[in-house]
Amino acid sequence: MSAPAQELPRPGGFPEIKYKRNIPKVGPSGLTLLVGITALCTFGLYRTGQGNLERRELEREKVWARIHLVPMLQAEADRDTYRREVADKAREAEIMKDVKGWKVGESVYNSDRYQPKTYAVVP
Amino acid sequence: MSTYREPTLPTGKFVDPTPAPAESAHPEVGATSAPLKSAAYFIGAHCKEYNEDFMLCKNENADPAHCLKEGRKVTRCAMDLITKLRENCEKEWVAHYQCLEKNNQEYYACRKPERTLNECVFSKIKLEKVIPGASGTPIHLRTDSIYS
Repeated sequence: MSAPAQELPRPGGFPEIKYKRNIPKVGPSGLTLLVGITALCTFGLYRTGQGNLERRELEREKVWARIHLVPMLQAEADRDTYRREVADKAREAEIMKDVKGWKVGESVYNSDRYQPKTYAVVP
Repeated sequence: MSTYREPTLPTGKFVDPTPAPAESAHPEVGATSAPLKSAAYFIGAHCKEYNEDFMLCKNENADPAHCLKEGRKVTRCAMDLITKLRENCEKEWVAHYQCLEKNNQEYYACRKPERTLNECVFSKIKLEKVIPGASGTPIHLRTDSIYS
Protein backbone atom coordinates (compact mmCIF):
# COMPACT_ATOMS: atom_id res chain seq x y z
CA MET A 1 0.00 0.00 0.00
CA SER A 2 1.39 3.26 -1.09
CA ALA A 3 1.78 6.16 1.29
CA PRO A 4 -1.32 8.36 1.53
CA ALA A 5 -1.27 11.48 -0.62
CA GLN A 6 -0.51 14.42 1.68
CA GLU A 7 -1.53 18.00 0.94
CA LEU A 8 1.53 20.04 0.37
CA PRO A 9 2.20 23.69 -0.44
CA ARG A 10 2.14 24.58 -4.02
CA PRO A 11 5.45 24.53 -5.77
CA GLY A 12 7.41 27.62 -4.79
CA GLY A 13 5.51 28.02 -1.55
CA PHE A 14 2.61 30.23 -0.56
CA PRO A 15 2.94 33.98 -1.24
CA GLU A 16 3.31 36.28 1.77
CA ILE A 17 -0.01 37.25 3.34
CA LYS A 18 -0.46 41.01 3.25
CA TYR A 19 -1.85 41.80 6.68
CA LYS A 20 -0.18 45.22 7.18
CA ARG A 21 -2.19 48.32 6.28
CA ASN A 22 -0.52 50.14 3.51
CA ILE A 23 -0.94 53.84 4.42
CA PRO A 24 1.71 56.16 3.11
CA LYS A 25 3.15 58.75 5.50
CA VAL A 26 1.76 62.15 4.50
CA GLY A 27 2.40 65.57 5.92
CA PRO A 28 4.73 66.91 8.57
CA SER A 29 5.77 64.86 11.54
CA GLY A 30 4.24 65.13 14.95
CA LEU A 31 7.18 67.09 16.33
CA THR A 32 6.97 69.60 13.51
CA LEU A 33 3.26 70.04 14.13
CA LEU A 34 3.76 70.50 17.87
CA VAL A 35 6.52 73.04 17.46
CA GLY A 36 4.70 74.84 14.64
CA ILE A 37 1.40 75.17 16.45
CA THR A 38 3.12 76.27 19.65
CA ALA A 39 5.04 78.94 17.74
CA LEU A 40 1.89 80.13 15.98
CA CYS A 41 -0.05 80.37 19.25
CA THR A 42 2.80 82.21 20.95
CA PHE A 43 2.97 84.71 18.12
CA GLY A 44 -0.78 85.18 18.19
CA LEU A 45 -0.84 85.73 21.94
CA TYR A 46 2.04 88.19 21.70
CA ARG A 47 0.23 90.08 18.98
CA THR A 48 -2.96 90.15 21.05
CA GLY A 49 -1.01 91.55 23.98
CA GLN A 50 0.53 94.26 21.80
CA GLY A 51 -2.92 95.01 20.44
CA ASN A 52 -4.31 95.38 23.95
CA LEU A 53 -1.55 97.83 24.86
CA GLU A 54 -2.21 99.75 21.68
CA ARG A 55 -5.95 99.82 22.31
CA ARG A 56 -5.28 101.26 25.73
CA GLU A 57 -3.28 104.07 24.14
CA LEU A 58 -6.03 104.67 21.58
CA GLU A 59 -8.54 104.90 24.41
CA ARG A 60 -6.34 107.43 26.20
CA GLU A 61 -6.06 109.45 23.01
CA LYS A 62 -9.85 109.53 22.70
CA VAL A 63 -10.36 110.42 26.36
CA TRP A 64 -7.89 113.30 26.14
CA ALA A 65 -9.60 114.61 23.03
CA ARG A 66 -12.84 114.71 25.02
CA ILE A 67 -11.12 116.31 28.01
CA HIS A 68 -9.90 119.09 25.73
CA LEU A 69 -13.43 119.63 24.43
CA VAL A 70 -15.28 119.53 27.76
CA PRO A 71 -14.82 123.21 28.77
CA MET A 72 -16.11 124.47 25.44
CA LEU A 73 -19.16 122.19 25.43
CA GLN A 74 -19.85 122.88 29.10
CA ALA A 75 -19.68 126.63 28.53
CA GLU A 76 -22.18 126.34 25.72
CA ALA A 77 -24.51 124.15 27.79
CA ASP A 78 -24.20 126.51 30.76
CA ARG A 79 -25.28 129.50 28.71
CA ASP A 80 -28.33 127.60 27.52
CA THR A 81 -29.19 126.39 31.03
CA TYR A 82 -28.81 129.90 32.36
CA ARG A 83 -31.10 131.27 29.66
CA ARG A 84 -33.74 128.65 30.49
CA GLU A 85 -33.46 129.30 34.21
CA VAL A 86 -33.91 133.03 33.74
CA ALA A 87 -36.96 132.43 31.55
CA ASP A 88 -38.29 129.94 34.12
CA LYS A 89 -37.94 132.46 36.95
CA ALA A 90 -39.69 135.14 34.88
CA ARG A 91 -42.60 132.77 34.27
CA GLU A 92 -42.70 131.86 37.95
CA ALA A 93 -42.73 135.53 38.96
CA GLU A 94 -45.57 136.18 36.53
CA ILE A 95 -47.66 133.26 37.86
CA MET A 96 -46.99 133.93 41.55
CA LYS A 97 -47.15 137.71 41.52
CA ASP A 98 -50.35 137.75 43.63
CA VAL A 99 -49.02 135.46 46.36
CA LYS A 100 -47.63 137.36 49.31
CA GLY A 101 -44.19 136.43 50.55
CA TRP A 102 -43.36 134.19 47.61
CA LYS A 103 -39.68 134.12 46.81
CA VAL A 104 -39.05 133.56 43.14
CA GLY A 105 -36.47 130.90 42.39
CA GLU A 106 -36.00 129.90 46.01
CA SER A 107 -34.20 126.60 46.41
CA VAL A 108 -36.08 123.76 48.07
CA TYR A 109 -32.84 122.63 49.67
CA ASN A 110 -31.39 124.09 52.83
CA SER A 111 -28.02 124.58 51.17
CA ASP A 112 -26.19 127.08 49.00
CA ARG A 113 -24.94 124.39 46.66
CA TYR A 114 -26.29 124.58 43.13
CA GLN A 115 -28.86 121.92 42.29
CA PRO A 116 -29.93 121.41 38.70
CA LYS A 117 -33.69 121.58 38.17
CA THR A 118 -35.35 118.19 38.43
CA TYR A 119 -38.53 119.30 36.67
CA ALA A 120 -38.96 121.63 33.77
CA VAL A 121 -42.31 123.37 33.77
CA VAL A 122 -43.21 123.94 30.17
CA PRO A 123 -45.44 126.93 29.41
CA MET B 1 -48.52 124.61 43.65
CA SER B 2 -49.62 124.11 40.13
CA THR B 3 -52.34 125.16 37.83
CA TYR B 4 -54.24 122.52 35.90
CA ARG B 5 -52.38 121.16 32.94
CA GLU B 6 -53.56 118.81 30.28
CA PRO B 7 -52.15 115.37 31.09
CA THR B 8 -50.27 114.97 27.84
CA LEU B 9 -46.89 113.45 27.25
CA PRO B 10 -44.80 115.75 25.12
CA THR B 11 -43.52 113.99 22.05
CA GLY B 12 -41.10 116.48 20.57
CA LYS B 13 -38.33 118.15 22.49
CA PHE B 14 -39.17 121.44 24.09
CA VAL B 15 -36.99 124.38 23.17
CA ASP B 16 -37.56 127.43 25.30
CA PRO B 17 -38.16 130.22 22.80
CA THR B 18 -37.09 132.98 25.21
CA PRO B 19 -34.06 134.81 23.85
CA ALA B 20 -30.88 134.79 25.91
CA PRO B 21 -30.49 137.60 28.46
CA ALA B 22 -27.82 140.17 27.69
CA GLU B 23 -25.35 138.83 30.26
CA SER B 24 -25.25 135.36 28.71
CA ALA B 25 -25.84 136.09 25.04
CA HIS B 26 -22.89 134.95 22.98
CA PRO B 27 -22.48 133.34 19.56
CA GLU B 28 -21.73 129.62 19.73
CA VAL B 29 -19.02 127.59 18.04
CA GLY B 30 -21.54 125.71 15.95
CA ALA B 31 -19.26 122.90 14.80
CA THR B 32 -20.40 119.29 14.74
CA SER B 33 -18.71 116.40 16.48
CA ALA B 34 -16.24 115.28 13.79
CA PRO B 35 -14.64 118.71 13.17
CA LEU B 36 -14.43 119.22 16.92
CA LYS B 37 -12.84 115.81 17.44
CA SER B 38 -10.40 116.55 14.65
CA ALA B 39 -9.48 119.91 16.23
CA ALA B 40 -9.71 118.74 19.87
CA TYR B 41 -5.98 118.57 20.59
CA PHE B 42 -5.38 121.97 19.00
CA ILE B 43 -8.21 123.50 21.01
CA GLY B 44 -6.64 121.94 24.09
CA ALA B 45 -3.23 123.37 23.23
CA HIS B 46 -4.42 126.78 22.06
CA CYS B 47 -6.94 127.44 24.85
CA LYS B 48 -5.20 125.74 27.75
CA GLU B 49 -5.32 128.72 30.11
CA TYR B 50 -8.93 129.63 29.40
CA ASN B 51 -10.04 125.99 29.68
CA GLU B 52 -8.29 125.45 32.96
CA ASP B 53 -9.58 128.72 34.33
CA PHE B 54 -13.11 127.74 33.39
CA MET B 55 -12.84 124.26 34.91
CA LEU B 56 -11.40 125.69 38.14
CA CYS B 57 -14.29 128.14 38.23
CA LYS B 58 -16.75 125.28 37.71
CA ASN B 59 -15.05 123.43 40.51
CA GLU B 60 -15.68 126.41 42.77
CA ASN B 61 -19.38 126.51 42.01
CA ALA B 62 -21.44 124.41 39.62
CA ASP B 63 -24.04 127.13 39.10
CA PRO B 64 -24.19 128.02 35.38
CA ALA B 65 -24.54 131.69 36.34
CA HIS B 66 -21.21 131.61 38.18
CA CYS B 67 -18.85 131.04 35.25
CA LEU B 68 -20.51 132.85 32.35
CA LYS B 69 -17.57 135.19 31.84
CA GLU B 70 -14.98 132.40 31.82
CA GLY B 71 -17.25 130.37 29.56
CA ARG B 72 -17.41 133.18 27.03
CA LYS B 73 -13.63 133.34 26.96
CA VAL B 74 -13.45 129.59 26.36
CA THR B 75 -15.91 129.80 23.50
CA ARG B 76 -14.18 132.82 21.96
CA CYS B 77 -10.85 131.01 22.11
CA ALA B 78 -12.28 127.91 20.44
CA MET B 79 -13.86 130.05 17.74
CA ASP B 80 -10.56 131.85 17.27
CA LEU B 81 -8.78 128.56 16.76
CA ILE B 82 -11.39 127.33 14.30
CA THR B 83 -11.03 130.57 12.32
CA LYS B 84 -7.27 130.08 12.25
CA LEU B 85 -7.68 126.47 11.11
CA ARG B 86 -10.02 127.63 8.36
CA GLU B 87 -7.59 130.30 7.21
CA ASN B 88 -4.45 128.18 7.26
CA CYS B 89 -5.25 124.50 6.96
CA GLU B 90 -8.80 124.24 5.74
CA LYS B 91 -8.10 121.57 3.10
CA GLU B 92 -6.24 119.27 5.50
CA TRP B 93 -8.75 119.81 8.26
CA VAL B 94 -11.72 119.03 6.03
CA ALA B 95 -9.97 115.91 4.74
CA HIS B 96 -9.34 114.70 8.28
CA TYR B 97 -12.79 115.29 9.68
CA GLN B 98 -14.49 113.81 6.65
CA CYS B 99 -12.32 110.74 7.13
CA LEU B 100 -13.44 110.65 10.78
CA GLU B 101 -17.06 110.92 9.66
CA LYS B 102 -16.60 107.93 7.39
CA ASN B 103 -14.76 105.80 9.95
CA ASN B 104 -16.97 105.98 13.03
CA GLN B 105 -14.83 108.85 14.35
CA GLU B 106 -11.92 106.56 15.13
CA TYR B 107 -8.57 108.32 15.16
CA TYR B 108 -6.64 105.17 14.19
CA ALA B 109 -8.49 104.85 10.91
CA CYS B 110 -7.41 108.33 9.79
CA ARG B 111 -3.70 108.60 10.52
CA LYS B 112 -2.74 109.73 7.02
CA PRO B 113 -4.94 112.83 6.85
CA GLU B 114 -4.17 113.43 10.52
CA ARG B 115 -0.45 113.58 9.81
CA THR B 116 -0.83 116.10 7.03
CA LEU B 117 -3.13 118.17 9.26
CA ASN B 118 -0.69 118.00 12.17
CA GLU B 119 2.20 119.03 9.94
CA CYS B 120 0.23 121.93 8.51
CA VAL B 121 -0.93 123.14 11.92
CA PHE B 122 2.55 122.79 13.36
CA SER B 123 4.16 124.78 10.56
CA LYS B 124 1.51 127.51 10.30
CA ILE B 125 -0.22 127.89 13.68
CA LYS B 126 2.63 126.49 15.81
CA LEU B 127 0.45 124.05 17.70
CA GLU B 128 1.34 120.44 18.35
CA LYS B 129 -0.73 117.42 19.23
CA VAL B 130 0.56 116.07 22.54
CA ILE B 131 -1.11 113.21 24.38
CA PRO B 132 -0.25 113.63 28.07
CA GLY B 133 1.34 110.64 29.79
CA ALA B 134 1.97 108.58 26.66
CA SER B 135 4.17 105.51 27.15
CA GLY B 136 6.81 105.09 24.45
CA THR B 137 6.11 106.62 21.06
CA PRO B 138 2.81 108.49 21.12
CA ILE B 139 0.16 106.44 19.40
CA HIS B 140 -0.43 108.97 16.61
CA LEU B 141 3.25 108.90 15.60
CA ARG B 142 3.72 105.13 15.41
CA THR B 143 4.29 103.71 11.96
CA ASP B 144 3.80 100.01 12.75
CA SER B 145 0.51 99.81 14.53
CA ILE B 146 -1.75 96.79 14.84
CA TYR B 147 -4.90 98.88 14.62
CA SER B 148 -4.68 100.92 11.47
